[in-house]
Amino acid sequence: MSQAVPPVLSVQPSRALVDEKFSVQVENLPPGCPVTVRSLYQSEDKDFWEAYGHYVSDHRGTVSVSEDVSLGGTYTGKEQMGLIWSMRPAPGSREGLRLRKRDMCTPMLVTISVYRGHEDFRDQTALASALVERWHMAPGVQRIEVRERGVQGTLFVPPGPGPFPALLDLWGGGGGLQEYRAALLASRGFAALALEYLKADDSKPNSPGDKYFETAFEIIRAHPQVAPDRVGIIGLCFGTLVALSLAAEYPMIKPRCIVCLSNVHHKSRKNTVTEFPEEVPERFKTVGAMENVLVWRDMGLAVLKMQHPKIPVGNIDCPMLLINGTDDQNWPTVEVASDIIKMMREAGKESLVTRVDYPGAGHLIEPPFSPLFRATNFMLSGTRKKVMMLWGGKTKPHADAQEDSWRRILSFLQLHLYGDPSPKAKL
Amino acid sequence: MRWESSTRPAPLLTATPVRTLVDEQTCIKASFLPSNHPVTVCARMRSDEGDLWQSFAHYNTNSSGMFNLNSDHSVGGSYSGCEPMGLFWSMQPAPGEREGLRLRKKCVESPYTVQISLLEGHVSPNQDPGKEVAAVTAERWYMSPGVKRQEIRQNGLVGTLFIPPGPGPFPAMLDMWGMGGGLPEYRSSLFASRGYASFCLAYVGHKDLPGPSNTVNVGDSYFKAAFQFLQEHSQISADRIGIVGLSYGCYLTLHTGTLPGVKPACLIGINGPVGSSRELLHVNVTTKKSDQDQVFWSFDDQGYIIFKQTSLPSNLHPESIVKLEEITCPLMYIVGEDDLSASSIENADLIEKTLRAAGKSHLFTRLSYPGAGHLIEPPYSPMSRASFWVIKPEKLMTLWGGHPAPHAAAQEDAWRKMLAFMELSLRR
Repeated sequence: MSQAVPPVLSVQPSRALVDEKFSVQVENLPPGCPVTVRSLYQSEDKDFWEAYGHYVSDHRGTVSVSEDVSLGGTYTGKEQMGLIWSMRPAPGSREGLRLRKRDMCTPMLVTISVYRGHEDFRDQTALASALVERWHMAPGVQRIEVRERGVQGTLFVPPGPGPFPALLDLWGGGGGLQEYRAALLASRGFAALALEYLKADDSKPNSPGDKYFETAFEIIRAHPQVAPDRVGIIGLCFGTLVALSLAAEYPMIKPRCIVCLSNVHHKSRKNTVTEFPEEVPERFKTVGAMENVLVWRDMGLAVLKMQHPKIPVGNIDCPMLLINGTDDQNWPTVEVASDIIKMMREAGKESLVTRVDYPGAGHLIEPPFSPLFRATNFMLSGTRKKVMMLWGGKTKPHADAQEDSWRRILSFLQLHLYGDPSPKAKL
Repeated sequence: MRWESSTRPAPLLTATPVRTLVDEQTCIKASFLPSNHPVTVCARMRSDEGDLWQSFAHYNTNSSGMFNLNSDHSVGGSYSGCEPMGLFWSMQPAPGEREGLRLRKKCVESPYTVQISLLEGHVSPNQDPGKEVAAVTAERWYMSPGVKRQEIRQNGLVGTLFIPPGPGPFPAMLDMWGMGGGLPEYRSSLFASRGYASFCLAYVGHKDLPGPSNTVNVGDSYFKAAFQFLQEHSQISADRIGIVGLSYGCYLTLHTGTLPGVKPACLIGINGPVGSSRELLHVNVTTKKSDQDQVFWSFDDQGYIIFKQTSLPSNLHPESIVKLEEITCPLMYIVGEDDLSASSIENADLIEKTLRAAGKSHLFTRLSYPGAGHLIEPPYSPMSRASFWVIKPEKLMTLWGGHPAPHAAAQEDAWRKMLAFMELSLRR
């Protein structure tokens, strides 16, 4: 053959849910050839995100991302999914970006390419490339906009007759309506209501006391395809504060289990939940070259030492899964988890709690393979001031935490929401 | 109020992955069922024409209340035994649907949506639907993301070109089907999803081709132009082009591959003749035979047309028989041993004999599948033992042959071997 065959890049599978892995393989390279494998994604906000790894082909001229070691780039080592979780905004991007898919009915479209060499690859034409689709929603999942009895959210229901176990899905202080975890949970067999309760506009946020969450729970339970006694809560950050409050202080809401990511358990001085984020004073701390970055962790430690009102978690009667990162810079969530367990022990209910602390993980523990957002633009509720918030986390440990915690979350939810474990069983 | 002390939730039925290419497997499993319990798994989907196709199989859960199609055995239904993809390849038109159907994807840019259901007990979904207790939806795609589809109507050529994503240049295939005509795109779109540019070429029975639709009105220059079109394409490697054809397309593959100036890098023939004849080109089949016409097709006692004898080497026009001894590239020939539409075994024998005499046996690969019929297509697709050949002036069915399980095994194995053959011939 006169013409050399160009390298062939294949990604298996080319369509997957975002919590599934893919294998990237490059073949038909010269042996011992240095190449860079790169991922590129343009977000819904039109920002470019990329990741890349430097590889050297083997004697057969093959690079296998799942088998070979990346020698440099945005990730190193043997990392099958490094091309997704180590993504960062491309050079020249705006600062403080966070990647959160809004449209659940379309996939993320990621281009995976291979370039010659380890230097200046962006100036070259790729040797080969492939496109992969990453979906939050499986086919057949119903997406239902909920606007009833004052409650706003989106309900995702798996395909089939049901009845399904269900979850109330709560995000944190950033507010708005984030659907992507609920869509993914429905794709894994759990009906899930992503609830909007901290509005993006000026209206007053909803508080557990004002019946908003009770109504949301009733809406879930009343859905003809939901098993009414198999409804749990999953929350992150401020969402864990709401989850703990609902479980501890509102007997009408009896979640069958709760999952708390990045735990917060302090209430406001007025003993309410919703005013708590507004009260957290701003404390400026310069981190490296970044100015005007808020680091709330130390504030949280101070609050822990004070006699600040807390959710009476000892009232909780259902299994709890507490997941936190030791590099959380936004709140001392590991210390909070220890305090929660202390309170549960005092109530004789320690056996209800499963706790996992992930070394090097930050605050924003998301579904697997999401990139790390160590510090992002954030709008404070109350003052509505725009700041840069430091969440913490180191890229690789944070990715490991997301992958491992998701597996544990699904397993925990299957056990408690699909199964019928003995109530005294140690988790 | 529906409050109960403990509602039993639906069992958890999963298909992993839920979105695949049609030549990929998906694993169907269920859990949270009662232990040692009979269940029926049922698959249903609609063709592009709206016909309902379906299959079902009977399983028993294990002591943990689970079953897994990758490891468990069907004890009844549309297939039996351990068949991970049985629900897909064993589908048949549902009762009450139109007769004489063949499943062929028209629009390759959209997937088949397959509803997989779990029913209580061992039931036959048509007689007694039983209670659906769980469901999952799977999508089966003919095109991977980034593949570009281009309709080609230039220089008289009528076809569709599929180009993989990326800069290229890519090896390519010229892809041809049988005298049923039209432009089936689904094999080409899959080749492109596997990294090969692929050009499916129409030559009969297409509105954009010249002349009457029931005859072949294009000649050698047309097929040569198709090959050259690929050679001249900026994203295709000119010396890495192969040709593949099923049925009459097999003859065209061999014939085009030996035209002067055409140097393919490999040839793949499936269940087709090494030569042509007036009868093979004559698609006007009616039950009334004219005495002047010498035809080799016959009708069985159900009134189905059997074309098999028409392609027997002794019934081919001698001048048309391809000079196989002139082949200089690897040739793969795929035989369905229960092919009732073409004399595949006899043609394979002739190819083998000719190449051996020419000292070119090393170029020849023969795959032979007992129980497989004429229509050896990409894997996990349902098969039709018979389907309509013509509907006007009267409805006539033709017999393709094949039995579901061996035919499915043949499709799976042949596809894998074809891709490996293409890899070896076009990428090294």
